[in-house]
Amino acid sequence: MTLMTNVLQVLLLILLAPLVRGVISRIKARIQNRRGASVWRPYADVLKLFRKQDLVPASASFVFRLAPMVVFTTTLVVAAFVPLLHGSALLGVTGDFVLLVYLLALGRFFLMLGAMDGGSSFGGMGASREALVSTLAEAPFLLALMSVAIAAHTASIAGMVQWTMGQNFFQFSAVYALAFAALVLVAIAETGRIPVDNPTTHLELTMIHEAMVLEYSGPSLALIEWASAIKLTVVMALLIALFVPWGMASSVSALALGVASLVMLLKIAALVLALALVECSVAKLRMYLVPDFLGVASALAILAVVFTALMR
Amino acid sequence: MMLLAFNSFLVAMLSVPIVTLISHRWRKGRALPAALLMGSLVVGTAVAAVGFWRGQRFQVDISQVASFSFALSMDRLSAFFLLLICSVSLPVILFSSSYIPRHYSGARRHWLWVLLPLFLTSMVLVVTSSTPFAFLFGWELMTLFSAGLIVIDGDSKQRRHNIFIYLVMMHAGAAAVIGAFLLFLPHASNFAQMRDSAALMSPLLRTAVFLLAFAGFGTKAGIVPLHLWLPRAHPIAPSPVSALMSGVMLKTAVYGLVRFAFDFLGSGPSWWGYLVLFAGAVSGLLGVLYAIGEHDLKRLLAYHSVENIGIIYLGLGSALVFTANHSSVWAALALTAALLHCLNHAIFKSLLFLGAGAISDAAHTLDLEELGGLQKRMPLTGTVFLIACCSIVGLPLFNGFVSEWLTFRSFLAGSEMTNLSAAIVLPLAAGVLALIGGLAAACFAKVYGVGFLGRPRSGEAGRANEVSLPMQAGMGALATACVVIGIFPGLVLRSLGALTEELLPGAALPPEATSLTVVLPWIALFVLVLVGGFAGFKRAKKLTATWACGLPGLDERMQYTSPAFSKPLRKVFSRVYRAERTLEVVPGDPPYFPVSISYRSVRTTSFEKFLYRPGVDAIVTAALRLRRLQTGNIQIYLLYIFAALIALLMFMRWA
Repeated sequence: MTLMTNVLQVLLLILLAPLVRGVISRIKARIQNRRGASVWRPYADVLKLFRKQDLVPASASFVFRLAPMVVFTTTLVVAAFVPLLHGSALLGVTGDFVLLVYLLALGRFFLMLGAMDGGSSFGGMGASREALVSTLAEAPFLLALMSVAIAAHTASIAGMVQWTMGQNFFQFSAVYALAFAALVLVAIAETGRIPVDNPTTHLELTMIHEAMVLEYSGPSLALIEWASAIKLTVVMALLIALFVPWGMASSVSALALGVASLVMLLKIAALVLALALVECSVAKLRMYLVPDFLGVASALAILAVVFTALMR
Repeated sequence: MMLLAFNSFLVAMLSVPIVTLISHRWRKGRALPAALLMGSLVVGTAVAAVGFWRGQRFQVDISQVASFSFALSMDRLSAFFLLLICSVSLPVILFSSSYIPRHYSGARRHWLWVLLPLFLTSMVLVVTSSTPFAFLFGWELMTLFSAGLIVIDGDSKQRRHNIFIYLVMMHAGAAAVIGAFLLFLPHASNFAQMRDSAALMSPLLRTAVFLLAFAGFGTKAGIVPLHLWLPRAHPIAPSPVSALMSGVMLKTAVYGLVRFAFDFLGSGPSWWGYLVLFAGAVSGLLGVLYAIGEHDLKRLLAYHSVENIGIIYLGLGSALVFTANHSSVWAALALTAALLHCLNHAIFKSLLFLGAGAISDAAHTLDLEELGGLQKRMPLTGTVFLIACCSIVGLPLFNGFVSEWLTFRSFLAGSEMTNLSAAIVLPLAAGVLALIGGLAAACFAKVYGVGFLGRPRSGEAGRANEVSLPMQAGMGALATACVVIGIFPGLVLRSLGALTEELLPGAALPPEATSLTVVLPWIALFVLVLVGGFAGFKRAKKLTATWACGLPGLDERMQYTSPAFSKPLRKVFSRVYRAERTLEVVPGDPPYFPVSISYRSVRTTSFEKFLYRPGVDAIVTAALRLRRLQTGNIQIYLLYIFAALIALLMFMRWA
């Protein structure tokens, strides 16, 4: 039963991810006084792209077509790390935060290579910028997770979640706020949202992620789009699971899981709303200000680690 | 049995030079040296493997018959490093068996086949010796033979200068190592004696031994700021020799430090650990940052050796901190991480240098700006190079990740220490390691993306063809090792645990270390099935031109270049590079159209300018002053001798 719930969690994350994306763009459209597309639009996009031809530049090697598969697969594996409905996950016990960070890095590394395989300057430009952002985001990402791991005395994601669930919300250490803030900043950089990157930009010169996937089409593009939707949802679920897991089912029964799903939907909805509000009210940063943005995240993460070690 | 095999291995290695000199006149005997060398390396690998996995010990002692104390012995630590040397050199020699005849002829080829086995034997000597004499004998020969191998590749003023720097720094380092051994006198005839006497030493003396060993082996390992020789000497050697120097020779320095710090001295104050940790963090960060600024492939790889030695030192440093805090279980984890990274680095760095050799063989250049599009022209070389890139970056499912993961876990364990400084410093070191990892990813995305993907940037790169079969086989074997260790790290982890138990009494590898061995094969299986499924799923594919905003005429010069790719990172870390730029514009008649523009950007590392230059200047000035003593007048020299005699007599009288 636990195993089935764990598999169910992964499937939920994978299948609901495009919906989260659709809802975000719908809310953004409403805030900007537009009607906006249907929330089901990302599903239609992915289906449409899967039925199309795969256009491959003549100069490209096998890496070009391998990259989207690696990106998609590693994102799926990462999805199996994160508890969603109860305090356990498919790879929750053996999968620790270092593996999580580096699996995401594996996908990103291949996406950068795929971008450079197209042989145009846009791909190289996107890869170069992605290299800058991801390089500087890796250390705060790891340190923020480490501060939680230190507090929880475990490295596994599920273990950390169970520890947090055991804590009383009102006696919660304020140090956690530092780790949470650092992780939020990193999550924005990691998923390529405003103010680090703009997923809806149409101007090649300002693109990061979009410049990397400029050359992709058809099923390859579908995999990349779906993967980035899953990544966004997984990172949201990770933030919820680590910092506000209360409401997750403590026992595996239909009733508890049902309640947990409702609570989880509410939490994700709150995050989605917050994200849409931020994206509508903040402008994208100039690229050379992104290191400062991530510098703040690093400083917060370092403080989180130091204080967690001191308070322990 | 082991003894017999080991002796025959040594004899076979030493016979290769003789065979080379005899057989070179005989036309069919050309392949003989390579075959003999590979055969003896197979024997060496087998001996080392048995010693490492089964923990068998033996000793070869010729002190009785010789007038000096010269003995070789093997414990698990020696066996591990012997395994590293033999198993990594084997594919490198296989590669060379085809590479050397293609690039070197006549006397140069014979000299390569004479010096290569001698160089390998000297490294074997270093890691198996059990007396200081044997160790230093091997240590010195290792430097000389490697310098000899560099000389073979050509001669120019610049090269001589680089080799000179290499030799000077190596001898300065060797002096420190000799000093570390001398401090054990009078109990320094063999390692067992030194181990016993170290426990009775005063803390001050122990610290002196540690610092001398740290400086001496640090020079060989190339930690910042003693790394100066590394990016000069490694790139100018023949590629297989670079592979051996970077992949294997640097590890003998790590062996030396582990032997001194963990075997002889046992444990020390925790600042030893912080010193090593700090050296590792600085080397790792500066190594990878300098690498990002390079566009010559072999210089770039040499800087990455500095980075990886930094990662190894991070593990060693945290192990020392743990032993100082009496936490031998976590020390075992950290030491295992460092030793495993030695093996992993040996494998993937040799592979990268062999890849560089294959590139220069096929495209006749190592300048990234002249490469590109090689993946389609050299499918196997490209694929194994990609595997090596993933390994060195430390991505999961490749071997570099396993050792970096273990290092991360040891840093996390640091938070469990009751000592507050350890509980804060060690977890923060994880941030440094993560930053190093991120920078390495950016650097190798550049190397592989610019070198192997996209369109060829020069005619030579466009005409490149796949290299010969033995070269492919050598690289393929190393790449296989990367993937196998990356997915099934349990193969080496268990024996490494036994090795650390020998070094740190009362330690056993904590169960945390094995959680990765459980999950990695499953992830690998999942990735394989899914990627295989996608690839097998027939998708309509159509070749098109690359998108050029709807305009024709996209050419290879419009691709992102290596400096362009690294520009954002170089800008963010500009304080590290301190490039000296000069821009000269000759204005034309209307000043808006200059006649010529020239731009130069020179990057001299601050260490040369602020650390080495004053020291070298001081030595040269002192030497010039001392020259006045050398008048050339024989009476003056007789006076010196007389004065020395009187001084000695007086010393004997009162001492």
